[in-house]
Amino acid sequence: MDLTVEKLAKMIDHTVLKPETTQKKVKELCDEAKDYEFAAVCINPIHVAYAVELLKDTDVKVCVVVGFPLGATTPEVKACETADVVAAGAHEVDMVINIGAMRDENYDLVKRDIESVVGASGDAHVKVILETGYFTDDQKVKACQICKEAGADFVKTSTGFGPMGATPHDVRLMRETVGPNMGVKAAGGIRSFKDAIRVIDAGADRLGTSAGVAIVEDFRWAQYSDSWMAPDKPCWTCPSRMANMAKQPKEVYKWYKERCLTCPDKEHNVFND
Amino acid sequence: MSKSSLYADAPILHVNLSDKSILRETIAPEVFKQYLGGRGLGVKLVYDNLAPGTDALSPENLLVFAIGPSTATRVPTAGRFVVVTKSPTTGTMFDSHAGGYFGAQLRRAGFAAVVFYGKADVPVYLWINNDEVELRDASKVWGKDVYETTDMLLKETDEKAQVACIGPAGENLGLMAAIMTDKHRAAGRGGVGAVMGSKNLKAIVAKGTGEVGVHDQERLNAAVERSRRLIKKNAVTNKSLPVYGTPVLVSVANELGMLPTNNFQEGTFNDAEGVSGEKLLERFSAGTYNCHGCPIGCGRVSLIKGEKVGGPEYESLWALGPECGINDLEWIAIANDRCNHLGLDTISTGSTIGAAMELVEKGKLDAPLKFGDTTGILDIIEDMAHMRGLGAEMSEGSKRLAERYGAPELAMQVKGLELPAYDPRGAQGHALGYATSNRGGCHLRSYLIGPEVLGSPVLVDRDRPDGKADLVMLYQDLSAAMDCMVVCRFTNFAWTVDDYAELVSAGTGIELSGRDLLRLGERIYNLERLFNLREGFTAMDDTLPPRFFKPLPEGGSRNRVVHLEEMLKEYYKLRGWDKEGRPTKATLEKLDIPVS
Repeated sequence: MDLTVEKLAKMIDHTVLKPETTQKKVKELCDEAKDYEFAAVCINPIHVAYAVELLKDTDVKVCVVVGFPLGATTPEVKACETADVVAAGAHEVDMVINIGAMRDENYDLVKRDIESVVGASGDAHVKVILETGYFTDDQKVKACQICKEAGADFVKTSTGFGPMGATPHDVRLMRETVGPNMGVKAAGGIRSFKDAIRVIDAGADRLGTSAGVAIVEDFRWAQYSDSWMAPDKPCWTCPSRMANMAKQPKEVYKWYKERCLTCPDKEHNVFND
Repeated sequence: MSKSSLYADAPILHVNLSDKSILRETIAPEVFKQYLGGRGLGVKLVYDNLAPGTDALSPENLLVFAIGPSTATRVPTAGRFVVVTKSPTTGTMFDSHAGGYFGAQLRRAGFAAVVFYGKADVPVYLWINNDEVELRDASKVWGKDVYETTDMLLKETDEKAQVACIGPAGENLGLMAAIMTDKHRAAGRGGVGAVMGSKNLKAIVAKGTGEVGVHDQERLNAAVERSRRLIKKNAVTNKSLPVYGTPVLVSVANELGMLPTNNFQEGTFNDAEGVSGEKLLERFSAGTYNCHGCPIGCGRVSLIKGEKVGGPEYESLWALGPECGINDLEWIAIANDRCNHLGLDTISTGSTIGAAMELVEKGKLDAPLKFGDTTGILDIIEDMAHMRGLGAEMSEGSKRLAERYGAPELAMQVKGLELPAYDPRGAQGHALGYATSNRGGCHLRSYLIGPEVLGSPVLVDRDRPDGKADLVMLYQDLSAAMDCMVVCRFTNFAWTVDDYAELVSAGTGIELSGRDLLRLGERIYNLERLFNLREGFTAMDDTLPPRFFKPLPEGGSRNRVVHLEEMLKEYYKLRGWDKEGRPTKATLEKLDIPVS
């Protein structure tokens, strides 16, 4: 891959979504985004006006989350929230899909939910967070198809607050489903340049991470050895490894574990790494 | 700024202790360009001036105290110094480093290095008061411990000066004698304190108030600002190390089954929680310690029985704790403090006690030593420094001790230097680093614990042998280059190769890319290798104790062994060395090392 430090930075949504985030932290985030020329900052709605002010006259976009992190508000509330943040200057909106409706197979509601946000977004791009850890592969595929039909610009893996983060497996599946003309954003658990390169290789064109500075800085190491990217144990990046009965619906958890039991790399699944 | 304040123009002090002559000589421009300063300068001086086969404890050995072009500038952590000599412990070229404040004082006094030759007829110390340098009588402090010596010499010279000295262990030529500074910071490894003792040199006291110049202050300021920001942004340098200090590693190593226990017989210590960094903070913390110019502050200060003591740091805590099966954190801090007073290397001290305990356990040695039992150990430590009884035998280190009692396989060492606190079976690259370290069993020549355990800069599979030779070489070369600047190894968590290169370029005017800097490190590594080959070392010495080729019975690294042969083959190839581990002519030419 012909990836440079600059190109990598341009793919990163520099993110802080913790509830305790202060204005000082938002300023730091925006300053770093300017310095490193990240694609965007990704923040909660309460900080949008401040971030827009800090980033005016720069190429850094302001990305705001909506219906976050549960996705369980109504389409009308999500639309209202979207209109509000777009009016305040947001360039991008990351909404959370209606997870329960997806599991109920109430696809009309899922689609209407997304369409309501797309409709309220004006010129802003809309990314739809699937929260993949709540779904089986079939459900992920279905969710991607609905997002595409509803006119979203991106599908996105996770909120960072759910049961799983981004995995190359999910990104690959999502890319294969939406094709080359729609964006795929990998988010959640991307902590190192190796994580970043793996999901980029799998098809992501945008990365959501709070470790953007470390990822870009550490990427400078990559030129000094090919061994950083030597294959790891396959389980390290497998979503089944992250399956968690306490955080996932029972049938979803069992689906992930079943994959694990039938995996040809099963012998690598040791849990002390 | 005056030209004379630049490192390149600073004189090396050549101190002949036999005839008391003191000469000053600037670094030859070509040497500066190729070896920079610090470790590189010291290695070049020792390689060029020491006859092969010289007894390390004879007057003919050289003892170099060096600092680098970054020392006492605004570069973070650059107040350290390095001691380079032929080690009496390993017989190899040896560089041993210490933090504290002494290095910065020496630089501000206007010098690049001090080289000692010969042997004084009576105990002396060197007093460097800016430009004035004199050898003084040290008979009043001979026999005193490190703390008393430091206090007395500061009183005799200047309270604002800094002292680097030996304790009784160095005076008695113990092979694990350290050189101590600021009382509890140690150039600990390799018996460098014994070399000092063999020259009847008790201390160097330095006070410097001069200006320290750099080639391009504005450019350096920018690089420094960036390097400080990176330290602030890094989780290890901004959180783990400042809060818990290096003992944060106890829990990490134990979880992975890599915390050597009972002389590396096990990799998991049942009482690890009780001796962890978290517990140290909770029970005994009395503050932190920052070396000169350090924004990290990993040093610990503990309150033990109403008294503030330095440390214990991770390696010391392990060596005097789990390595000997000991779980009493308060006792460990006391034992560590005792070693500091006596001027003993805590790693080698603890590891040799652990080896002795196993010798007893295996019926090879009859002594009142038992894993997990602290009874009498503090007396043994005293005896090791004062060369008394069994302590005298133990002061020679685990290799000689285990050979003496007919079980050399029980010494956990490489090239005679005791291994530090990571079981190599749990991290293949780190194992290769141990085996190929030019100074023997050392974790700091190539700290692959960073990528293999801590995920810095990225996590690599610790069990895979392939690809590790490449990373070990990268870390060895970078570490050698960093040691020429003489900055702390922990900057490595936050800075990349390019950052070091920029700091050197801005500071010296020698334009170096990241790759140029690595080439400089590679040159030093190969020169050290040539020295060791000249001294009779061979590829056979690039190995590990047999224990590491048998699996650990349980824990997070169970069933693992070191795949050394495979990695070593690849390593020699990448280094440009032949099958016997000798640099080829082409390699030496590439590195501008004269081919003999």
